[in-house]
Amino acid sequence: MGKLQKLAMSDEGFIFDPETGSSFTVNQTGLFILKLLKEGKSQEEVVEALTEEFDVSREEAARDLIDFLEQLRLNGLLREEKSV
Amino acid sequence: MYKVAVSGINAVDNPGPGVGIAKSLKEGDKELRVFGLAYDAMEPGIYMDWLIDRSFIMPYPSEGEELFLNRLLYIKEKYGLDAVIPALDAELPLFIKGAQYLKNLGIKTFLPTQEQFNLRAKDKLPEVAERIGVKVPRTVVVTSYEELSKAVSELGFPVMIKGIFYKAYKVQNMAQATAYFNSIVSEWGYPIIVQEVVSGEEMNVVGVGDGEGGHFGLVGIKKLWITSLGKIWTGVTVKNEKLLEAVEGFVSVYSWRGAFEFECIATDSDVYLIEINPRFPAWVYFSTGVGVNLPYRLLQAALGVEPERSWDYEAGKLYVRYTDDLVTDMGRFQKIVTSGEV
Amino acid sequence: MKKPYEKPVIFKLKTGFMNKFGGGSYFLKKVRSEIEGISVDELVKEFGSPLFVFSERKLRQKFRELKNAFTLRYPNVEFSWSYKTNYLDAICAILHDEGETAEVVSEFEYEKARRLGVPGNKIIYNGPYKPLDSLRVAVREGARINVDHFEEIADLEQVADELGAKPRIGIRLNMDTGIQPQWSRFGFNLESGQAIDAVKRIAAGGKLELVGLHCHIGTFILEPRAYEQEVKKMVEFAYRIEEEFGFKIEYLDIGGGFPSKNRLRGIYLPPDVAVPSVDEFAEGVCNALLSSLRPGDYPKLILESGRAIVDEAGYLITTVHAAKRMPNGRKAYVVDAGVNILFTAFWYHFNVELDREVNGPAEPCILYGPLCMNIDVVDDMVQLPPLPRGTRLILSPVGAYNVTQWMQFIRYRPNVVLIGENGEVELIREAEDLSDIVRRERLPERLELKWKD
Repeated sequence: MGKLQKLAMSDEGFIFDPETGSSFTVNQTGLFILKLLKEGKSQEEVVEALTEEFDVSREEAARDLIDFLEQLRLNGLLREEKSV
Repeated sequence: MYKVAVSGINAVDNPGPGVGIAKSLKEGDKELRVFGLAYDAMEPGIYMDWLIDRSFIMPYPSEGEELFLNRLLYIKEKYGLDAVIPALDAELPLFIKGAQYLKNLGIKTFLPTQEQFNLRAKDKLPEVAERIGVKVPRTVVVTSYEELSKAVSELGFPVMIKGIFYKAYKVQNMAQATAYFNSIVSEWGYPIIVQEVVSGEEMNVVGVGDGEGGHFGLVGIKKLWITSLGKIWTGVTVKNEKLLEAVEGFVSVYSWRGAFEFECIATDSDVYLIEINPRFPAWVYFSTGVGVNLPYRLLQAALGVEPERSWDYEAGKLYVRYTDDLVTDMGRFQKIVTSGEV
Repeated sequence: MKKPYEKPVIFKLKTGFMNKFGGGSYFLKKVRSEIEGISVDELVKEFGSPLFVFSERKLRQKFRELKNAFTLRYPNVEFSWSYKTNYLDAICAILHDEGETAEVVSEFEYEKARRLGVPGNKIIYNGPYKPLDSLRVAVREGARINVDHFEEIADLEQVADELGAKPRIGIRLNMDTGIQPQWSRFGFNLESGQAIDAVKRIAAGGKLELVGLHCHIGTFILEPRAYEQEVKKMVEFAYRIEEEFGFKIEYLDIGGGFPSKNRLRGIYLPPDVAVPSVDEFAEGVCNALLSSLRPGDYPKLILESGRAIVDEAGYLITTVHAAKRMPNGRKAYVVDAGVNILFTAFWYHFNVELDREVNGPAEPCILYGPLCMNIDVVDDMVQLPPLPRGTRLILSPVGAYNVTQWMQFIRYRPNVVLIGENGEVELIREAEDLSDIVRRERLPERLELKWKD
């Protein structure tokens, strides 16, 4: 994992990457996912947790998670294909 | 304890007037709470918490009136807000249009009227100059090549080629003239102003008109050193009778209301009007420093308190801008980024 | 009780772009659940998506604003509806009902106006290509013809001989009004002397009566001064013609080109700041007229405004079909309306509204249309919150030039409805189906397919 562990996250959704000096903002759903990923949860577990916490279908949550992981990769916060 | 919002707290290499206004207000009344209106989380004023008590990110004026006014209303409702002193050109049309609405909400301003605001348009200056008895560099307003070439042959090179709001270039020949004509038109549209080049001392006057023909003080300065961006770095106060009389004439003829900056060139015999800005200049603290606290007087006028009118400043006072460093942690940044206020 | 869901997003912070509202709509709720009191949902249920929706109230209101602005300042004004901006019967009928005549630029538009019941003498016939037959009809029916070139003068003289009539015509001018690019391909150039040559030619022929001047300086003109220039030059020219040739100019047609409150691509300022009001144009034109005309002389001022009237009366409802993430991180949506029916997407950033509240921060998005072509981009930069599939977007203003320049290409053109002042929704152009497209086709018998199902 590495990268995710090092990120500083605030409850308001402010993310600071101490390695690169970049800052990010994330919404509450994004923060929820990031925390689970940081704990090492799998993609299936994250989807499960999303449907339990929020009013969302499994299908939509799974679709959005794919998109979110892609956003993390594009922002350099997830290295290569990781079997999260 | 009054609460006042100021904008233009971007104290960078091309500074807005906000920090100078805030500093003046605090000197006028230590109890005063100053709110900063910012357009980016990196505007330095946000981090100068000894001058700016609270900062808010504002939507750009280009996003439309409703969003902008609603943001002010939000500040009013949540923290209280008695007055606003807008300091950026791009905001003024919106504030002038919304002044009555803001007043109804209990947010006071002290701004020129729309008609007065229109006077600052560069193509209106000859009219203004004539009425107040100063000169303008001979000026021709053109909207086509045909008129451009006629104008330069009348005025003779060199001439200034100017846009209606921004941009001014000194040109030496027709090729340069058409090149700048095209580039200004493509960015700012018509008309284009062709102006004679006048040599003399560049002087500026800052003031606040009372809206009834009088004023709450004037301070005249000369820029001694300007940066590569054309911004003042050092300056000196001057008392040029002809110039100050002309400015008093301007205030009285048009019953100017609110802050203004009068830019001109003074020669031995004449004063030439170059530009009128309907707001405080970025160096406005200079006036406060020489004992004429114009921002605070403007605030009093907005709040309905009769301000002091004496403006007997000394000529030969020096203005020196300098750089400074500030180290802080990320908390403030984080807050303004996530919540839009801090 | 589960929390309401918002799609997950993360944004990187960049200096100079750290404004929560950043060019977008964080607190601005651009939600439109209805048009003129009729719910978007209901409209789509009944008429499908995409769907063009026109507002009769708005159309009449925009026309009246223009009419008032000019008639209050000048005593003799005619408004002529520019068919090319929108020639749907219902739209034209409303504007004719408001008193507009018809301005057409082809024999097709001419025929369409006549079919709708517009008499010939209420038609102004412009355009660079007027077939001889159409000139015969136009002269016979008393339409006002604005001549574009020398050949057309000869054509009209031929028609005059044939019909034994002396047609009353106008000539179209082009000139330098400070607008770049200068439109010089239509009509006769003023500064070069071509225009006066045309008048000489008409006078020498002796078969035509020159009674009007026409000029159209360009399109989406944001500078009222350009019209002042135009008007001054036209009046000066009219008096010169009168003095030198004895033709009395009865009308000055200044064309159209007034902008709508649409956001032109490449212009930063919002339309409520960048686009001058109709009053500013009227003030410029009428002051220029009154200051250059002789006392007591009030030739008819003709305006051919189209876009400024109809653009803001038109909306397009479109539906999100899919969401995509582009390789550069940019979010994109595929919607069911593309440049096939939104020709003006090439020029404008439309106002984009959503039919419902969607939670989540906005990010810059691309809207792709349904065509299998790279150019099919409705907007390359619009701030939108994360949209679920099926969200409806309401695009505006789209009332001008779309329902005339749209193309069928690989899709059927959709329904067009009008919401009347009475609150009723009426279909004013039915969606196409296969029969519309194959009706004109002829398959040679020998090529018929012999495949069995």
